[in-house]
Amino acid sequence: MAVVPGMTELTAPYWQAASEGRLVVQECGSCGRLTHPPLPACPRCHGRDLGWRAVSGTGTVYSYTIVRHPTHFAFAGQIPYTIALVELTEGPWLISAITGCEPAEVHAGMPVRATFRQLTDAVTLPYFEPAR
Amino acid sequence: MTGRAVLRNTAAIAGIGQTAYAKALEPTAWELAVEAVLAACADAGVDVADVDGMCRFTAPFETVSEAMLVRALGIRELSFFAQAPHGGEALGAVVAHAAAAVSAGLANVVVVYRALSQSKGGRFGRADRGDGADRGATDPDTDIVVPEQDNLSFAWPYGLMSPGQLFALWARRYAAVHGLTDEDLTRTLGTIAITQRQYANRNPAAMMRDRKLDWDTYRGARMISEPLRLFDLCLENDGACAFVITSAQTARALRDDPVYVLSATQTLSPYREPMGIYTGGEMLELFPPAAADRLFGQAGVTRQDIDVAELYDATSYMTLRSLESYGFAAGGAGWRYVLEQGTGPDSPLPVNTHGGHLSEAYLHGMNGILEAVRQLRGTASSQVAGAEVALVGAPAGSATILAR
Repeated sequence: MAVVPGMTELTAPYWQAASEGRLVVQECGSCGRLTHPPLPACPRCHGRDLGWRAVSGTGTVYSYTIVRHPTHFAFAGQIPYTIALVELTEGPWLISAITGCEPAEVHAGMPVRATFRQLTDAVTLPYFEPAR
Repeated sequence: MTGRAVLRNTAAIAGIGQTAYAKALEPTAWELAVEAVLAACADAGVDVADVDGMCRFTAPFETVSEAMLVRALGIRELSFFAQAPHGGEALGAVVAHAAAAVSAGLANVVVVYRALSQSKGGRFGRADRGDGADRGATDPDTDIVVPEQDNLSFAWPYGLMSPGQLFALWARRYAAVHGLTDEDLTRTLGTIAITQRQYANRNPAAMMRDRKLDWDTYRGARMISEPLRLFDLCLENDGACAFVITSAQTARALRDDPVYVLSATQTLSPYREPMGIYTGGEMLELFPPAAADRLFGQAGVTRQDIDVAELYDATSYMTLRSLESYGFAAGGAGWRYVLEQGTGPDSPLPVNTHGGHLSEAYLHGMNGILEAVRQLRGTASSQVAGAEVALVGAPAGSATILAR
C-alpha cells in the first residue's frame, strides 16, 4: 500500500515531472516569481501566464522531525523516518523526506539534493539526500 | 478601565458549562453537547428555549450541528448562527462572532459549544482513523489517494499527517534558530509539561488529576516525533464545553460576576494559515505581530495587565511559542523565560492553570476559555489571586481577552 498524491489540473505537471526524474516549480511568466505548491494566479503580479521551471534540486534542510510513532498504518513499517522542510536554492520550500543517511545525521542547515523514489507504477516522489 | 473599547461594554460571558472529560465516554457527541449547553444555560440563569444564537467550529471538527441542538433542546428559533474554521484557531473567532452578533443586535443569547467524541470518531493523533481518514483504502493492495486540499497531497505521501508531526517541525526550527541544545529544549518543554500537570493535579475535572508527572517519567517517555515526547502532546478524549454570551447589560442582570469580552481576534494572511503546512518567510512567526497588537489595542490593555493566560497547547511547544507571539517574552527569549520564571502559580504569568490540553483535557481551546472565566470569577482550582484580566490564545493568533 502506498500513500499517493491525488492530482489536480494545477498539481499534475509537478508530479508528472517527478515521474521523469525532474524537480520543477511553478513560475510566473510575467514576473518570474517561483511558487510552490502551485497557485491559480501569481500572488505577486496576479499574472495568469503560469508555467513550470526546472530547478537545481539542491537546497538546505530548514527544519525536520524524526517520526518514531506512526500515525497511519501505511507508514508503520517505515518507522523511524525523517520528514523535512527543504528550502530550495531557488527559494521555494518543499515538504519532503530525507533518505540516504542516518536520522541522527540530519540537522537544520544541512545541504541536500533531490533524489527520486518510484512509489508506484504511476507515482514518483522527490526525496532529498545529503549533498556530499 | 476607561478606553477598553469595542466589545467591553457590549458583550459578556454569562454562563459556562462542561461535561466530564475522559478518554472514552459512553454518550455520543450530540448527547455531550446537549449536556454542556444545558449546563451553561443553567449557570447563566437563562432558559435554553430562549437561546437565539449559536456559534461553533466548522465540520469536520464539530460534528454536532446547530440544527441538531435546536431540535434536541426545543429552541424556538435561532436568528443568528455561524461557524469558524481552522480547528483550535477558531477559539477567538467564535467569541468574536458571538460577541459581535450580540453587539449588532442579531441575537440576544448566543451559545458557543464544542463537543468531541474521539473515542467514537477519529483521534487527531491518528491519521488513519475517523471519517474517511483511510481514504477508503482498507485492503493492503489498494493505494491511498490523498485528495489535494490545503496542500495535504504534498505532505501525506511523505508521512506528514498529524498535528504533532507539524509542531515537531516548528519546535526543531525554534531550537535551530535560537541556538538551543537538545537538552535546553527538553528542559524547556518538560518544564511546561510538568507545570501544567501540577495544575491538573489540583483540578478535580482534569483527566490527569491523579497522575503525577516527574522529570524521570517525562524524559523516559517515548519520542513521538522528535523532539516531542509523549508528554509534550495533548490528551485525546471525549467531552464538551459550552458558554453563553449575552449583552453586558443582560449579563449584569443575570449574575453578579459577568466576564466581559474586551476583544477577540481572527487573523489570516498568506502562508500563515493555521496549521498550514507550507509557510513563507520565517516559520516561527506564526501570525503577524500586528494581530497581537490589535488584540491588546482593541481591549485597551497591555501585556502587563494580563493576570493569567490560557494558551492553546496541542503540544508543549505551542505554549512556549505563544508566550513570545503574544508578547509576554521577547522573540527567542521564551525558553529562558520558561526556565527562569516558569508558568506556575508563583510566576509572573500563570499559564494553563487548569492543566491545559496536555493535562486537563483537549477541547480545542474551549476549556481554556472556561478556565479563564473561572479565574475571573475567582472560582478556579488554582486561583490566581485577584485576577482581573485573562488572555486565551491559540498559536496562530486567534485569541480573546476577557475581564471581570
